[in-house]
Amino acid sequence: MIEFIARRLLLLVPVLLLVSVISFSIIYISPGDTAENSIMNPGGGVDRKAVEEFRAKTGLDEPVHIQYINWMGRVLRGDLGESYMTGVGVSEAIFRCFKVTLKLAVVSMLVSLVIALPLGIISALKKGTVIDDVCRFFALAGVSMPNFWQAYLLIIVFALTLKVLPSSGYGDGGITYLFLPAVTLGTGYAAVTMRLMRSSMIDVLQQDYVRAARAKGVPEHMVIFRHALKNSLIPVVTVAGLNFGYLLNGSVIVETIFSWPGIGNLIVSSILSKDYPMIQGCVLFIAVIFVLVNFAVDISYAYLNPRIRYENKN
Amino acid sequence: MVMLLVMATVLGSLCIDQDSEEKTASANQTKPSGQESTLRYAATFGPEGTLDPAVKWTGWYLREAGVYETLFSYDENMNLQPELATKYEQVSDTEWRIFIREGVKFHDGTPLNADAVIYSLNRVLDDNNTRKGEYDFIESISKYSDSAVTIKTNSTYAPTIASLTDPVTSIVSPGTDLNIAPVGTGPFKFESYTQDVSLSLKKNDNYWNGTAGVDRAIIYFVTDEMTRLFKLESNEVDIADGLPQSEIAGLHNNPEYKIYSTPTLRTYFLYVNMNKEPLNDVKFRQALNYAIDRQQIVDTALEGVGGTPAKSFFGSMMSWSINDRIDMVSRDEQKVRSLLNEAGLEDINGDGWLEYDRKPFELNIKTYTGRPQLKPAAEVIEAQFESVGIKTSVTILDKGALETDLNNKDYDLSLYAWTVAPTGDPDYFVSKHFESTGAEAQKLSYSNPEVDEWIEAGRLTMNQTERKEYYDKVQEQVLDECPEIFVFYQNSLVGTNKKVAGFKQYPNEITFLTKDISIEE
Repeated sequence: MIEFIARRLLLLVPVLLLVSVISFSIIYISPGDTAENSIMNPGGGVDRKAVEEFRAKTGLDEPVHIQYINWMGRVLRGDLGESYMTGVGVSEAIFRCFKVTLKLAVVSMLVSLVIALPLGIISALKKGTVIDDVCRFFALAGVSMPNFWQAYLLIIVFALTLKVLPSSGYGDGGITYLFLPAVTLGTGYAAVTMRLMRSSMIDVLQQDYVRAARAKGVPEHMVIFRHALKNSLIPVVTVAGLNFGYLLNGSVIVETIFSWPGIGNLIVSSILSKDYPMIQGCVLFIAVIFVLVNFAVDISYAYLNPRIRYENKN
Repeated sequence: MVMLLVMATVLGSLCIDQDSEEKTASANQTKPSGQESTLRYAATFGPEGTLDPAVKWTGWYLREAGVYETLFSYDENMNLQPELATKYEQVSDTEWRIFIREGVKFHDGTPLNADAVIYSLNRVLDDNNTRKGEYDFIESISKYSDSAVTIKTNSTYAPTIASLTDPVTSIVSPGTDLNIAPVGTGPFKFESYTQDVSLSLKKNDNYWNGTAGVDRAIIYFVTDEMTRLFKLESNEVDIADGLPQSEIAGLHNNPEYKIYSTPTLRTYFLYVNMNKEPLNDVKFRQALNYAIDRQQIVDTALEGVGGTPAKSFFGSMMSWSINDRIDMVSRDEQKVRSLLNEAGLEDINGDGWLEYDRKPFELNIKTYTGRPQLKPAAEVIEAQFESVGIKTSVTILDKGALETDLNNKDYDLSLYAWTVAPTGDPDYFVSKHFESTGAEAQKLSYSNPEVDEWIEAGRLTMNQTERKEYYDKVQEQVLDECPEIFVFYQNSLVGTNKKVAGFKQYPNEITFLTKDISIEE
């Protein structure tokens, strides 16, 4: 197990390097001038002289590979630099926004699992009945409904009509403000997870060992929760893990509609203003998050399915 | 897993309990203890990290919030008025004496004096300030007495006083950390700030010009326009800026809300690439100008409320520099067709599209994603050009990419929005766009020695009536030559609930929360 974890961690290094090189080049070849964007008057117009000075000061007048090496050198010393737009430290900004997004991600995840797992299991057990049809209809609706539309719908129902929740904003960061964005994000992911839970459960229930357990006279709830559930959770954990990875990187649309000051907002505004240090920092951060989430998924696999552990040993 | 489900359910039920508690708490907040009144305002943008008014355009946000003031400012009719100054005198062509209002105190109790003014203005002239270029006409600022300063300019520069209305020149209290705790002289005191979330303010009891009509104000930063509307409708805010134009008609019919829509100084216009054939032909440019039906653009793309048709680059909000001799250009198909023929465009093969130089001809309009009005307006213009036989297409880019294309003269027409007079002075826009040396004029390849002379003379002449003559001439010449084609002035769309009294719109969009706003219960 230790060896397995170590090998996984080593894989991180080349992945992150590659990600940083690719993102650096993509920004570099995309049209538009960074220095110009950074000091452009929102009402129009740019001061030429100021642009040149800004270039010299930030090292933007160097060739791109030198810029990259300089940046990488600083990163290895733990310095992600400062935002061109705000002068705020990049790591500081990412940390601030990540805390906010993390809150939303955890609650969204809970919402999605609370909906998906029971519905998926019920659907599988009642396969082919009306109950199954109703559950699958909800799943289809959840998948099909665009996030932004659902967000507005929830605001209209809960904030404008029933007046029980605030329409948007971060407020004091409390659960009232979290509720609508979390439900918006959660239901989307719940639908996918539920369908997977259902098919995986159906699959497992047809296995020989389930039939054997039933033949032995094990009570049905024991069969389902003791024998079938753990095995049918394996694909669900994978998808739920990846979903959590996506959630941790902030949903741009949902964060914008609900004025949720998280990482999704940060990334979009940095990309629009071509804020190099900020984009690089965010991309690196997202890559790390994804690799770590994958890593956690793999570990949980090994826990859920001993076979994986043994394969790695051999 | 079962545990997790149980936990989640418990947590979920807790949430709902908390919701109802919070709800009652917030319901009580409208009638708080001690009858404190709070004005809640949903704004479109806010400061990006630092709160220092001398950094980029941060000062604009803090002036909107009523924290900082400047030596001079504009009233709601764009008339220049003294604010923290009381008057100015011109000592010579290059020397201005500015008298500072006495008895004014900063929020921290420090008195406003010449030293504070010099300290504040020198922060803008600092070598590290990215906006110092706009103020390089200043040679020095010196103390004349405790309540007067002398500004020396490098050469005669008529817009000197107007330039002191830009919030970058906000007068700040020396010796405080302006990045995190703004200290100004305005009707509202800074209380707290959370980036991308909100800015909280308290009434300044010692304000020199009366006191604010509300005890507190909270500005929420809300990027999505529909969300701003929802916040107003759910009574989470009292004022919402930048409402979606599609919803204005519905709000107008609702007695619960007051809707304000007035033209701003933001003009939408087409850059014309005069480097290209046939756009280098004045006849062709005039044809395009006459082909545009501005009222139709306002009625369709702007739903009748998002803007007003443009006569020229300066709209009705430009106080003294409006040119009354200019008439609205209305669409005139007859004129368009004869001008197009004179410019050498004709339909040779009878397919309904005009050819130029016996070859198929197509115009492209480039615009950018930053403002929601641009794309629909460009599409209506496209249809209007096509209706006179010019094959047209629209390309949407991000602003940075478009800026690069303009610099490389890689465009035919480009629809853009500019705030034409951030400091209320006409020189800003004309010197950038129509003076040969101007950055924008170079994108157009526009150069006219006569226009250069007028613009120069406008800067060197102190008498406003004489200055106006020069700018009138520039406007008439530009409207005749069409290096740019002006389409509409954007309206600012603000909604308040009916309890809000004393709200006024300022066309330069930098004064918003004033002492005059109050909430009537």
